[in-house]
Amino acid sequence: MFPMPVEHWKPLNRRIYKLSLPIALLIWLLPMIAVMVTSIRSTEELTEGNYWGWPKHFALWANYHEALTTSPMLHYFFNSVMITVPAVAGAIALAAMAGFSLAVYNFRGNTALFATFVAGNFVPIQILMIPVRDLSLHMGLFNTLPALILFHIAFQTGFCTLFLRNFIKQLPYELVEAARIEGAGEWTVFFRIVLPLIRPALAALSILVFTFVWNDYFWALCLTQGDEAAPLTVGVAALKGQWTTAWNLVSAGSILAALPSVLMFFAMQRHFVAGLTFGATKG
Amino acid sequence: MASISLQGAQKSYGDHQPVIRNVDLEIGENEFCVFLGPSGCGKSTLLRMIAGLEDLSDGQLKIGGRLMNDVPAAERGVAMVFQSYALFPHMTVFENMAFGLKLAKTPTATIAAKVNQAARILQLENLLDRYPKALSGGQRQRVAIGRAIVREPGVFLFDEPLSNLDATLRGQTRIEIARLHKQFAAASVVYVTHDQIEAMTLADKIVLLHAGKDMEQHGSIAQIGAPLTLYHRPVSRFVAGFIGSPRMNFLPAQVSAIDSAGVEVALDQTGEKLRVNVSGDQLKPGQAVTLGIRPEHLESAPPSAVPPTQIIRRPISLIEALGEHSYLHLNAPEQPVLIAKAPGDATVKVGETVSFVAPAHACHLFTENGFAVPHLESHP
Repeated sequence: MFPMPVEHWKPLNRRIYKLSLPIALLIWLLPMIAVMVTSIRSTEELTEGNYWGWPKHFALWANYHEALTTSPMLHYFFNSVMITVPAVAGAIALAAMAGFSLAVYNFRGNTALFATFVAGNFVPIQILMIPVRDLSLHMGLFNTLPALILFHIAFQTGFCTLFLRNFIKQLPYELVEAARIEGAGEWTVFFRIVLPLIRPALAALSILVFTFVWNDYFWALCLTQGDEAAPLTVGVAALKGQWTTAWNLVSAGSILAALPSVLMFFAMQRHFVAGLTFGATKG
Repeated sequence: MASISLQGAQKSYGDHQPVIRNVDLEIGENEFCVFLGPSGCGKSTLLRMIAGLEDLSDGQLKIGGRLMNDVPAAERGVAMVFQSYALFPHMTVFENMAFGLKLAKTPTATIAAKVNQAARILQLENLLDRYPKALSGGQRQRVAIGRAIVREPGVFLFDEPLSNLDATLRGQTRIEIARLHKQFAAASVVYVTHDQIEAMTLADKIVLLHAGKDMEQHGSIAQIGAPLTLYHRPVSRFVAGFIGSPRMNFLPAQVSAIDSAGVEVALDQTGEKLRVNVSGDQLKPGQAVTLGIRPEHLESAPPSAVPPTQIIRRPISLIEALGEHSYLHLNAPEQPVLIAKAPGDATVKVGETVSFVAPAHACHLFTENGFAVPHLESHP
């Protein structure tokens, strides 16, 4: 049987495994640790070249305070929120409705439409860079928040629809039929039956999309110019000076930028309820 | 409250051959109608057509006199109990049962009263706060029934509701459904099952459906009638073989004589002559027919019965002893098996040759195309 439980391994293999796992973990997490440690190191220490040693004194407060106050960090943060929240909400709302109709209704062209959603995911987004930039210029949206919101919604909806359609397809179809017989219209079926049952999928998707949009640098760089509509990712990059870079500030900024995704994960965790549909049909 | 009427109902998927053909059916108010048939006969499809979950490809459906072909399920005023129960897993038992009433904008106090009353009838009072996952199969089944009855619909539809329960629970729930039907006397019930015990015990009217070749030839409906009519007066060999367990014995025979009191046939294998109380108007001497007799209608005869009329003599090849009674498989090698029901304490052994009387009134005759020859008098 595979995988074999660790307890059944040969003692030597077991020892090697127990030794190598922490080492692998350490190597894997090293960049992360470096960023975290650098973010609390003082500028003097960095100029002295103490990159990897234990910090002599902690500049936690000074670094974060400086990162937040000397650059328009809060402005970037606000922009990020204003982009990410509507983009996530919009993409998931559209995808839930599209996924519902693709999963529940048997209309002509259903498969073709679904295939289009799937195929759209295979288009490498980089080749769209110039057309999308031109489009946003023509629409008069260049360097505005709506430009980023719209394009994130457009790019995320495809994958979300694929994901949610498959999830809704897994629900027992009798639930939809039972609701209809009880007198429910299609909107009621969607809001009262299907949405509550796909909550785990919605939570997982919203984290995924949130992280993607929040961490997006590519489109932010393509569709903004200057500080006005720039999100946090662009802002952190802007902390880099032309000749010297205050790495401790960049690290502190990066950590601040990463925090919301982590918090989002913990906030959504309670929705990951396994087996939510258990008990709907015969046990 | 509402009668159901189907005229020329037909169902086909895409360009394929119809799966349901020529269904003309009237289900009266307060009637308990059971759709019975072999698997694949479309009985569930027919039910779903009444429910509004499937379209009619052809024909008309009326509920309470109103044409329903294009009315969505939500507006047909029907309630349905699904085979898989289809309880809403994110709602408590109370919420499940109240769902339809809430959608109908019933006042909260009325909802609570109705749900509590239904819960009392179904012994679900202590479970109202539970979620479906915390219920046993039988309890889920009762919640599904509860969800249907609180709305007091004109039509109840049951789609094999007992098939997921164990044998004991099935028996209990069957009795419960019969009791509920008496309580909700105004509603008509359509009940789909493949279990003929359920059909026989519950139905006012059984609709037995054809599958496959028979359906293509004769339409979907094999016979409509009261349970005992189907048992005693099957209109075709298919109905005769489907109703009753173990199934009716069929023996190839030839018409040997016809008179006003009935028909005499000679069995092909043995030449034994048997009289059957059927009308000989459509028969000719020498015509090939099939004689049908149910195992429970064969009466044990003393070996010295005189005169030897209506007697079938066969060696016993196998005995199925069920305790209260035994089924004797009667056949010489190379002969088709004839099953007879004998008392459980009968002292017979395998290999012994026994005689059974096949009473003329209990025998059926089927022509080559499978139709029953009409009996001379109506069944008791």
